[in-house]
Amino acid sequence: MSLALRNLQRAVPLRRALLRQRLQAVRGVLGVRAFDLGVVCVDNRKIQQMNRIYREQDTPTDVLSFPFHENLKAGEIPQPDFPDDYNLGDIFLGVEFIFQQCKEDEDYYDILTVTATHGLCHLLGFTHSTEAEWQKMYQKEKQVLQELNKHMGTRLQPLSRGLF
Amino acid sequence: MFQLLRCVPRVLGTAVAGLRAAAPSLPRLQPASRPCARPFGLLSVRARSVQLPGLLCSGLHTEGDKAFVDFLSDEIKEEKKIQKYKSLPKMSGGWELEVNGTEAKLVRKVAGEKITVTFNINNSIPPAFGGEEEEPSQGQKAEEQEPELTSTPNFVVEVTKDGSSKALVLDCHYPEDEIGQEDDQSDIFSIKEVSFQATGESDWKDTNYTLNTDSLDWGLYDHLMDFLADRGVDNTFADELVELSTALEHQEYISFLEDLKGFVKSK
Repeated sequence: MSLALRNLQRAVPLRRALLRQRLQAVRGVLGVRAFDLGVVCVDNRKIQQMNRIYREQDTPTDVLSFPFHENLKAGEIPQPDFPDDYNLGDIFLGVEFIFQQCKEDEDYYDILTVTATHGLCHLLGFTHSTEAEWQKMYQKEKQVLQELNKHMGTRLQPLSRGLF
Repeated sequence: MFQLLRCVPRVLGTAVAGLRAAAPSLPRLQPASRPCARPFGLLSVRARSVQLPGLLCSGLHTEGDKAFVDFLSDEIKEEKKIQKYKSLPKMSGGWELEVNGTEAKLVRKVAGEKITVTFNINNSIPPAFGGEEEEPSQGQKAEEQEPELTSTPNFVVEVTKDGSSKALVLDCHYPEDEIGQEDDQSDIFSIKEVSFQATGESDWKDTNYTLNTDSLDWGLYDHLMDFLADRGVDNTFADELVELSTALEHQEYISFLEDLKGFVKSK
């Protein structure tokens, strides 16, 4: 199924083809290629607005996830009855925020990949409200990123590292 | 007896959207040469015995035209007052602008390539859809809620490489809002069609293969968007083009109103 990528911002230049390639790789490792996924790249103004509306936090952030299937158990792959339900939901990437947070020795697209992986894990029911939940999410991210590192020659580390 | 006057309300001070979206149609006027014995069925009065604007045959054309000219004078004044740019805004990125009436061309040369972006401001303002009129919020007058008109023309990007006889031509569009919906998750602009055309020819050849992006592989689509971005046609460019097109369209509109006023006034 399809990966719909949109770039709604002009704050940061974006290589769409490269980002798509990375996102497709993450989908493949997670085993969710059969599901539609939306990834929308937005600037600080937009992500802050959404953070305010949906999480009551008036600050920009790196990623917001809007799952299609709610109440999934952590890591559960949905088993839809209807073709239209082969949809994971949408991830909004705060690309301007991510760019600003990027350290000098970090590759921007590596950080985008790690952030998108984190967002995708949220769509699959992973959370990090408690230490136990965080452990599960961290392990999943680590597993996915290690697999990616094998194929892409990268050294990606989980976003949720250091959260607890 | 004032039916005709009520058909032609004056709309002084109305925002641009209201003026251009809701211009009432003028009643059909009788030519000045029509015999003045009986007016056209509204009132049985003898011509010239009652000074009713619009009903006197010999004065009909002049009175209606005078009102039209006065109306246009006021509208031109109002349009100039709300004109955002007195001169056309500049595009960033070193684009040279050529304007020929309603058609504008932006040209840029970089690293052995020439990039030309062409657009026409005619029919470039999307219709203002809406269901029922929203109630004005507290403290806000109805006129203040009129949205600003923006011009979002389709634009054609031609890329030619030095010494080549063909140009890669990409037809680009701004998203069209669905009726009653604000689509804030569309790309700022999209590529609709791609083809090769011979350089130097003004006519688009139908016999050249044209790639329609509706069912295009999205990976290929993203490469095309990256290709354009590398040549300066990115989201910043698309936003600035809207500003330029809107300014040009408004300029042309005011110019048209002035020409119309002059035409109606002339004997």
